Amino acid sequence: MSYQVLARKWRPKRFADLVGQEHVVRALSNALNEERLHHAYLLTGTRGVGKTTIARILAKSLNCETGTTAEPCGECSACRQIDAGRFVDLLEIDAASNTGIDNIREVLENAQYAPTSGRFKVYIIDEVHMLSKSAFNAMLKTLEEPPAHVKFILATTDPQKVPVTVLSRCLQFSLRNMTPQQVAGHLAHVLEVEQQSFEPAALALLGRAAAGSMRDALSLLDQAIAYGMGEVREEGVRAMLGAVDRRYLFVLLDALAAADGPRLMAEAEQLAQRGIGFDSVLAEMAVLLQQLAMAQTVPAAIADDEPEREALFALASLIAPQDVQLYYQIAIHGRKDLALAPDEHAGFNMTLLRMLAFHPAHAQPDSVAAPRSNTAAAATRPAPVAMPAQPDAGVDGSAAARALLAGLGNRKPASRPAAQEPGTAADAEPEPAAPAPLAAPAPAQPVTPAVSAVSAVAVAPAEPVVTAPAPAVIAQAAPSVAADDDERDDEDETELDNTAPWDETEAEEAMPAYAMAEESTAVDAAPYQFDGDWGGLVTQLGTRLGASRMLAHNAVLKGWSQSRLELAVPDSFRHMATRDYQEKLKTALAEQFGHTVELVVTIEELGLETPAMQGARHRQEQLAQARICLENDPVIQQLVRDMGATLIAETIQPVQEL
Amino acid sequence: MLFPWQLQDWQRLNAERARLPNAWLFIGPAGTGKLEFALHLAQSLLCEQLQADYQPCGHCKGCRWFEHGTHPDFRRLSPQTDDEEEGKEAKPGRKLPLIKIEAVRQVIEFAHLTAHRAGQRIVVVEPAENLNPAAANALLKILEEPPQDVLFLLVAQAAQRLLPTIRSRCRQFPLSAPSPAQALDWLRQQGVSNAEAELAHNGGAPLFDHDPVLAKLRSQFIDGLGQPTFASILNLAELVDKQKLPLAIPLGWLGKWLHDLAGLSLAGIVRYHPEQQAVLQQLVLRCDPVALMRCQDALQQLAPFGQHTLNTRLQLEALLMDYLKIFAGGRQG
Repeated sequence: MSYQVLARKWRPKRFADLVGQEHVVRALSNALNEERLHHAYLLTGTRGVGKTTIARILAKSLNCETGTTAEPCGECSACRQIDAGRFVDLLEIDAASNTGIDNIREVLENAQYAPTSGRFKVYIIDEVHMLSKSAFNAMLKTLEEPPAHVKFILATTDPQKVPVTVLSRCLQFSLRNMTPQQVAGHLAHVLEVEQQSFEPAALALLGRAAAGSMRDALSLLDQAIAYGMGEVREEGVRAMLGAVDRRYLFVLLDALAAADGPRLMAEAEQLAQRGIGFDSVLAEMAVLLQQLAMAQTVPAAIADDEPEREALFALASLIAPQDVQLYYQIAIHGRKDLALAPDEHAGFNMTLLRMLAFHPAHAQPDSVAAPRSNTAAAATRPAPVAMPAQPDAGVDGSAAARALLAGLGNRKPASRPAAQEPGTAADAEPEPAAPAPLAAPAPAQPVTPAVSAVSAVAVAPAEPVVTAPAPAVIAQAAPSVAADDDERDDEDETELDNTAPWDETEAEEAMPAYAMAEESTAVDAAPYQFDGDWGGLVTQLGTRLGASRMLAHNAVLKGWSQSRLELAVPDSFRHMATRDYQEKLKTALAEQFGHTVELVVTIEELGLETPAMQGARHRQEQLAQARICLENDPVIQQLVRDMGATLIAETIQPVQEL
Repeated sequence: MLFPWQLQDWQRLNAERARLPNAWLFIGPAGTGKLEFALHLAQSLLCEQLQADYQPCGHCKGCRWFEHGTHPDFRRLSPQTDDEEEGKEAKPGRKLPLIKIEAVRQVIEFAHLTAHRAGQRIVVVEPAENLNPAAANALLKILEEPPQDVLFLLVAQAAQRLLPTIRSRCRQFPLSAPSPAQALDWLRQQGVSNAEAELAHNGGAPLFDHDPVLAKLRSQFIDGLGQPTFASILNLAELVDKQKLPLAIPLGWLGKWLHDLAGLSLAGIVRYHPEQQAVLQQLVLRCDPVALMRCQDALQQLAPFGQHTLNTRLQLEALLMDYLKIFAGGRQG
């Protein structure tokens, strides 16, 4: 007799031999013992968890000559014939190759006749998800009310593809994935009986690689035995499985963070040589990036016993949150594109190169923020958004930031509310940084990757606070926390572990918000005083206006008091003045004023300047100014004069200042 | 036939013969002789006078039948088979080549019959990725519990692209790719002119169609890409269109070129066009990586339609416009 693979040889023949699935076995055993059997069962679960096996054991239990029992004898002729696959009253139908209505009709036509030798006629319909729609529907009536001697057992990996009408007629059992421990335990048992030597560590690896499926595990075990010439050694299994740990991913992402193209490509080359599937590399990378994002936003969610915790946080401090998002997207898309590339290696390279291309070090300075270099810890509390930041508060952001930076450079301890605010501000305004001149183009890395966030806080204040732009950004963030920290010196340090890492991008953003924060603390004290500057108010409300922004921008203030505003909207914007926009505007205003405001909107032309018109005028002025600047530029004049260049005037665009 | 780089794999495989699985899944990169390996194994299993090292003898009845493709205990499940049955050479891939469920049903029937020569019955499925979903599912039951003495040999480039249910039923056997030196040696033995460049262009995989006409066209195309001007781009599109090539071929060339361009500008590697290093170096100076990625996106969008009846010239021109933009940015800003 030729060799039979382990997965087939070790297919359980009794419920007692099954690994896992106690919940199903128990329900079935009780049903069998009390003879309260349903006529149709549906077994679902991933590959190799025991669907077909349970179906066959159930068939044996039903037909065993010792009576309907949860423990079929395995010795009577019915049991033996079922094991050998030639019992006349067990019809195992491969629904994946017999998909059509005709196949099913043929089967069901015979259902009415009594069983030949057994007690029940058992229909096992495997891979049932592949049946055609009409085949499913043809089954419905019989499935609902079969003759007393008929039992249906359907099995599938994909219950979503089974129509609800079928699902509702069946008793559904979903089989669980095996845990790695269960798998390893069973493999050990198999190997002991097979008399093969093994190392437990090797089985643990196989258990993990099987990803919840016993058949996968046994197929792998077969492979491992062949690979190790009859022995299952950890080393051999590790080599056979290829990448079992994720170390290479950290190397890849580290090279990516450092924008080190050659190292990245060398690593990819190595992966190819080790025969690791690029598809799985990208999948794993996406998982790791997801963990990184989690480490950055909800550090507490990373389990303490996570094996690569240290490395994870070190990496999280090297890559900016928005870059993590971007890389994640690229990795996901890269997997799809892998099949379209000239070959897999090229596809993988291209995905990595794409990540590099959008790396801050390569991207144009105005499109992406500068590389982050340090995780200075921000406010420790998961601060709720108490007061949304006001990003365009009419203040020149960069100037404010610079002023503040200077202030911080003198180590003036920041006031507490201000120190708390940046985290909040960053939350409220997630979009990439404004083109602030502060963005440091070169990564300054005062803290080595191995240093965790806690020590980063400890180190940063010790850093000389320099006025040079790049490190100053980093340092400036730290003292504020340090100051905050000093005040709460007695509080335990574990809280610092939860620090939301933030980068200088956010720091820049935080600057205007910081200013605002101080302003708004003042505002909180005294109620808001409206001074009649509608344009200013609209800018201040900013994004809080939401959909009513158009209305606000195109309205003219006709009259006002502290509790009543009268707006006039030109006829061309009549559609913006509907009730729900007005309601929205009113809510936004009420928030700003601290009390409800009466709002009256009329449709009339007053010929006054609306905020929108004002903005347009500003732009026109800026444009004109920009043109004059360019035309008077000596270099350009020289180009025009000496080389016959022409200045294409309509392509000039003023730099938008926020 | 075995390739020189497969001898070790063959030894490794022979060690497993005592424990034959139901199904072997051979995995390895394209163009490294996976199919040949599987066929060699099939022949060896069907040979009636095995030589040393399990090599088939080549002159017994089984071997002769096998070599003529008429062995009654052998079936090959490939997308081409039904074209061959129709007796006409289908145009190179006007539609996606897929293995359909009818073919799988025939194989299931075949597996349930007894053998003609009292030995093994072998089914080779190649490439297993091309099983369409219905066909793949139909194969599941027979793959798991085939009748006595039936062996399935599946050949695939990446196991991840197969159904997990198929993967779980097979014993995987990774085949090694040749080292660059091995591949080069072999190519030289085959008398391929310009072996190094050809090998590089095929990403180190030594098995590819040598078509001198196509090779010449390719070098023209690459030269054109090396001088990105509006006029040369239009010429390129016309050139390709005249040859009535399917879109997939120039897309492949452009894809490789873009890969090298990106590789050189960002990481300093050139994989497919080492002989064009100098040209690439020049281009890299003006290259805008973001625009390059945009061009790559456009390419990728078009890639699934490589065998479609889209107007090749129109599509290629549009794509090459995107290619031009890679260098346009450098000049303006």
